Amino acid sequence: MANTPKDLRYTAEHEYVKQTGDTAVVVVGITDYAQGELGDVVYVDLPKAGAVFTRMQVFGTIEAVKAVSELFCPVAGTVVEANAALEKDPAAVNRDPYGAGWMIKLRVADQGDLGKLLDAAAYTKQIGQ
Amino acid sequence: MAMDDALLDEADASGRAFLRLYRWSPPCLSFGRHEPAASRYDRAAIARLGLDVVRRPTGGRAVWHEHEVTYAVAAPVAVFGSLRDTYRAIHARLAAALRLLGVDANLAPDGPTVRPSDGPTACFAVPVGGEVLIGDRKVVGSAQVRRGTAFLQHGSILLDGSQDLVTEVSRTPGAVTRATSLSAELGRPVTFEEVAAAIMAAWCEPLVPSDGPTVRQSDGFADPDWTWRR
Repeated sequence: MANTPKDLRYTAEHEYVKQTGDTAVVVVGITDYAQGELGDVVYVDLPKAGAVFTRMQVFGTIEAVKAVSELFCPVAGTVVEANAALEKDPAAVNRDPYGAGWMIKLRVADQGDLGKLLDAAAYTKQIGQ
Repeated sequence: MAMDDALLDEADASGRAFLRLYRWSPPCLSFGRHEPAASRYDRAAIARLGLDVVRRPTGGRAVWHEHEVTYAVAAPVAVFGSLRDTYRAIHARLAAALRLLGVDANLAPDGPTVRPSDGPTACFAVPVGGEVLIGDRKVVGSAQVRRGTAFLQHGSILLDGSQDLVTEVSRTPGAVTRATSLSAELGRPVTFEEVAAAIMAAWCEPLVPSDGPTVRQSDGFADPDWTWRR
C-alpha cells in the first residue's frame, strides 16, 4: 500500500505539496503511489528558478521506463529552486518521493490555491486504497 | 512523429480514439524524448551514413525504423486505465494479431524491471513486463506519453532486418539486441499489408477510416537542433 503522509496536501494528478519553514514557499513532488505506478524513473525534466506557473499548468515531464508523463503545478507560483540532484539520480523519486525525490520549491502566488488541494484521506480514497 | 503528436492532441481535445498504422520513407533512426543523444550516439557517423533522425515525443531508447509496421494508438486515458494496463491491453491486441499470422506471440510476465544503464542500449535489447515476445525475444518495441486527458502509445513491429545499426552508431558498445522479426520466425517474407490487416482484424472496437488531424509545421520534429538538443 502506498505511503500517503497525513501532513501533506495532494492533487488528483498525484503531485504532493509540503509546507516549509517559510509559509510562502512549498515543496512539490509526486506521490509514492505515482512513483509506484510509473516504475523506474529514468529522467525528470524540471523548470529553472524564476519560472512562473499558473495552477495546474504543466511544469515539467517525468520519464519512467518507456513512458513520459506531465507534471502539474499544484498551485500558482514562482519556482524558487529545482532539485538539481535528480539530473544525476532520478531514481531518488522512486526511493524517497517525499524526501530526496522532491522536484521544485515554489513561492505560492495565491494562498487560496492551497485550500483547493486534497487532504490525505481524500487522495487515498481517490487512488482506491 | 508530428502526426502521432497531433493525434495525441486530437484525442485530448475531442475524446476520440485513434489507431494509425504506417511505415517510414526513408528509413529513420528515432531517439527517445529525453535520451542524451548527443553524448550517446555518433552524430558524424550518422551523417556519413546519410541516416535520417528524429526525436520521438515518447520515452525509451533509440529505434531503427526500416522493415517494420509502426503502430500508434492515441486515446483518452480512461479507455485502458493505468500506464501498465494500457501497455498490456494494446500489446495483447498486437499479440493476438501476430498469432493470426501463425507465430506464437505472448506477453512478457510482469516482473522486476531492469533499470536501463547509461550505455547505448537499443530499445529492443531488454524485454520488460507486458511486452510482446516470441519465445524470449522482442518483436514489438513500444513507448508511451501522457498529455492532459490522453495518451499516445506507438511502437515498431519488426518485419525483417535488425537493430544492429543502433549499436553501430553508438559511442560505446551496448548490450546485444535480443530481438527477432516476423520474417525470421515464419521463414518467409512478411509484408506490411498482411500485418496491418491482422491488426485491424484483431482490434476489439470497430475501426472507421479517418483523415486524421492537421499536422502543425512548428512542432520541431523536422528541426535538427531540436532533435540533437540533448
